[in-house]
Amino acid sequence: MVEAVVSSREEFSSSLAGHKAPPANVNAAQWRNALFVAPYLFFFVTMLVFPLVWGIWLSFHKADTFGVGKFVGLANYARLFGDRIFLLSVGNTFYFVLLTVPALALLGLFLALALNRQTRTAAFFRAAYFSSSVLSVTIVTLIWRIVFVPDFGFLATVYGWFDTKAPAFLSDPNLAMIGIAIATIWWCLGLPMMLFLSALQQVPAEIYEAAALDNANRWQTFRSITLPSIKRTFILVVLIQVVLQFQLFGQARLMTQGGPNNASKPIVLYIYDVAFKRWDLGLGAAASEILFILILIAAMAQYFLTRNRGEN
Amino acid sequence: MSNARSTSIMGRESGDRVVLLLVIALALVMVAPVLWVIGLSLKHNAELMANTNSVFYPPYTITNYINILGTSSVFRWILNSLIVSGGLTIFTLVLASLAGYGFARLNFPGRDILFIIVLLGLAVPEQAVLIARHQIFGMLKLHNSYQGLILPGLSAPFGVFLMTQYFRAIPKELDEAALLDNASRFTIFWKVLLPLTVPAQATLGIFTFLWSWNDYLWPLISGTKKEMFTLTVGMASTQTNFAQSEGLGFLMAQAVFAGAPILILYLFFQKYIVTAVSGAAVR
Amino acid sequence: MTAHIEIKDVVKRFGAATVIDHLSLSIDPNEFMVFLGPSGCGKSTLLRMIAGLESVDEGTISINGARIDNLPPGKRDIAMVFQSYALYPHMTVADNMAFGLRNIGVAADIISARVAEAGRMLEIGHLLERKPGQLSGGQRQRVAIGRAIVKEPKAFLFDEPLSNLDAALRVRTRVELAQLRHRVKSTMIFVTHDQIEAMTLADRIVVMNNRKIEQIGTPMEIYSRPATRFVATFVGSPTMNFVPVRVAGGETGGATVILGDGTHVKTAIPTMKLKAGNFTLGIRAEAVRVAIDGQGVTSGTVDVLERLGDRTLIYTKLKDGSVVVAEDIGYSRVAVNDTVSLSIDGSRVHLFDASDRAWHCEEGLDG
Repeated sequence: MVEAVVSSREEFSSSLAGHKAPPANVNAAQWRNALFVAPYLFFFVTMLVFPLVWGIWLSFHKADTFGVGKFVGLANYARLFGDRIFLLSVGNTFYFVLLTVPALALLGLFLALALNRQTRTAAFFRAAYFSSSVLSVTIVTLIWRIVFVPDFGFLATVYGWFDTKAPAFLSDPNLAMIGIAIATIWWCLGLPMMLFLSALQQVPAEIYEAAALDNANRWQTFRSITLPSIKRTFILVVLIQVVLQFQLFGQARLMTQGGPNNASKPIVLYIYDVAFKRWDLGLGAAASEILFILILIAAMAQYFLTRNRGEN
Repeated sequence: MSNARSTSIMGRESGDRVVLLLVIALALVMVAPVLWVIGLSLKHNAELMANTNSVFYPPYTITNYINILGTSSVFRWILNSLIVSGGLTIFTLVLASLAGYGFARLNFPGRDILFIIVLLGLAVPEQAVLIARHQIFGMLKLHNSYQGLILPGLSAPFGVFLMTQYFRAIPKELDEAALLDNASRFTIFWKVLLPLTVPAQATLGIFTFLWSWNDYLWPLISGTKKEMFTLTVGMASTQTNFAQSEGLGFLMAQAVFAGAPILILYLFFQKYIVTAVSGAAVR
Repeated sequence: MTAHIEIKDVVKRFGAATVIDHLSLSIDPNEFMVFLGPSGCGKSTLLRMIAGLESVDEGTISINGARIDNLPPGKRDIAMVFQSYALYPHMTVADNMAFGLRNIGVAADIISARVAEAGRMLEIGHLLERKPGQLSGGQRQRVAIGRAIVKEPKAFLFDEPLSNLDAALRVRTRVELAQLRHRVKSTMIFVTHDQIEAMTLADRIVVMNNRKIEQIGTPMEIYSRPATRFVATFVGSPTMNFVPVRVAGGETGGATVILGDGTHVKTAIPTMKLKAGNFTLGIRAEAVRVAIDGQGVTSGTVDVLERLGDRTLIYTKLKDGSVVVAEDIGYSRVAVNDTVSLSIDGSRVHLFDASDRAWHCEEGLDG
């Protein structure tokens, strides 16, 4: 605050002085200092800000692969809300977020609590549980398709030992999203676990010692010390996962192609199909903006939740 | 992990056995699919056609892996991925370090508001800029080129945020001592501060590389020619309908082969990756 | 190389807050000048302005007649030792010292000669290839000083360089600094809030408080003739006693003051300079002794004893309730709750008027 006031005054006087003498104030605002951030800003503006604005502009126009047509106002948005498949994809996405985020947060927390110790075994399990996170979506979906695939899949084989038929996770409209969710949980579990672990390790040991001196049993210690100290991390984990899982694309495209009958089509796959298969760019852009707004709302809700927690 | 014992719910009491069993059971669920894939990759295609239960007993073979050497495009895709991910990582480190130093240490008109705008960029999902980017790159004839695959990633604000935080944490007296030592701003950046940011560089480098290696959406729509596929996109292109595939073992071998580099990288840098992931998120 | 530093009418503001208010000061060549004051008094800011790390809002700073306040820090021919040492953690000790010389293109053989010389002088020659992280606090301190020495600057600036050392090492380093200044002929400015460092090291002390200079003087001037009540309070341990008194006017020679309990004390402060009325009497503990024979001018009840070994500090309460710390020998027989007789050395007292202006004894005028 104070610095800012000083610097703005210095900026004024140094701009008056022109280029003659180098100003003595090493903290003065100088244009040439901006050279350090200029290279990044170039990419930030051309690759992020400009496309963002262009995308919003596109969503108000009729546009296809041959060029941008006339201004259509909110017509693209109107079309979206009249499109049963779009609404279905929005519902699917929310369903998927509900399936995955609580499971990821709770399983991650469980694993973190169980593996927060300094033994080799714990280290091994931590490494194992995180390893799937480094794989690409292609490998993950390949693995899980070969698990779910009828007849010679892993699941079918295991069920075969008991002479029963495995649930058709990829072809049953009621199960497709669940199948994708299972693969996703398998893939993404490492990050929540790691975040919880680093949060647990930041709780000072003295607090636990104090609790032990106060005769707290394990459950009381967990309830009144561990949980409150990782509350913020819990919210952070949920925020990260909500934003991440809202953007479901690869798993759905590669495991079910959004099927059967659009039962597992998420918003991003809808955007991809509309924009890059049907080349209805205006409509795709409008759908993108809706996704953007949904993510922003989720992020802001989480942000205010965290902030209120912090003030308590 | 000094407080490990006190916070762990995995200890000596009998209830802990249940927890341990759960951890092991869950680990089996995690590992079983991978073992299944590895198993299939070690069998002759013909044998698998007859019965996939044959996975559980010999004979095993490495024919599928040998076949990759001759026929697969995997090598080209790995090379593409290396160029794209490596290039993006290097450029990101350069840009983020420069910008992080600038935002953390130097004053220029509009600095604080610019930094806030960059931070707001963190909230923009890739999909919101995807279509426009695709159009722009089309006009600039950048599709199906390495530049086309690398450039969009350079705009990610995460690295700038991370490096700015890191530079801010370095004591300012170092800059001042260097100023008195007649060092220019660039010398201070290059010789005094940058060597101290190596841990942050590692974090950011690992993050960027992993993210880029596994990125699917942009390479899918930008690198549409087979010889410009990244490994992720290329592997996806091979697995359209393997339900009828006669080369199941070969497909699995290819998957193992494609997943192996990143897994080996993970095993080698496990410690760094884990610190990177938890460190980056805590900031 | 040495510097005559002239600070003229300097003002520094941080936003709306004025940190240095029209301050002027002249530092002689080869002088060891200490800026002494409580935290927030502006002493560090003043030092950083000389170094060029803070801008000068008004006024000028010049070295040997040439203005430097518009020069960047590196061009001022000044070296600084930071409180945190600010050693470059990734460079060896030798590289730390050489960095500044390399930046101005000094020839490699000259650099290594100077580094070796500094290493020898500071007894860190065997550490030259180590990194700062491998050194103890005291060794880092020496490297920081070495980094300043090799530059052969016109002036050395020290920003509370001893405050990060433990007590024993601080005393040792203080002595070494005192030796160093005689070997290195250069102007030195040393910022501290520790009065012992100031007293022991300085040629002259600048006592600062609340954005301005309270007094400039040699250590003994500061100690025996504090210009203001603030200086009297800040310098000396234990803190000077302050007792409200009335000055009885009309006499010639030394003034007689009347304490709250009615005691008359004859001082060596010339009466003619004083107006009769209310003052505050300042007496250091060493000027208030326990009179064993009971022949003191007043008496008090003992509250607390502090045995320091070589002497004993005795906190007494006079009859009117005012507290006076007196001094006795190491093996004092006084006990808590005793009533002791106190003698006051009238030639070593000070008077402060309502505006905290000080009046001192004149030499040779005994009370």
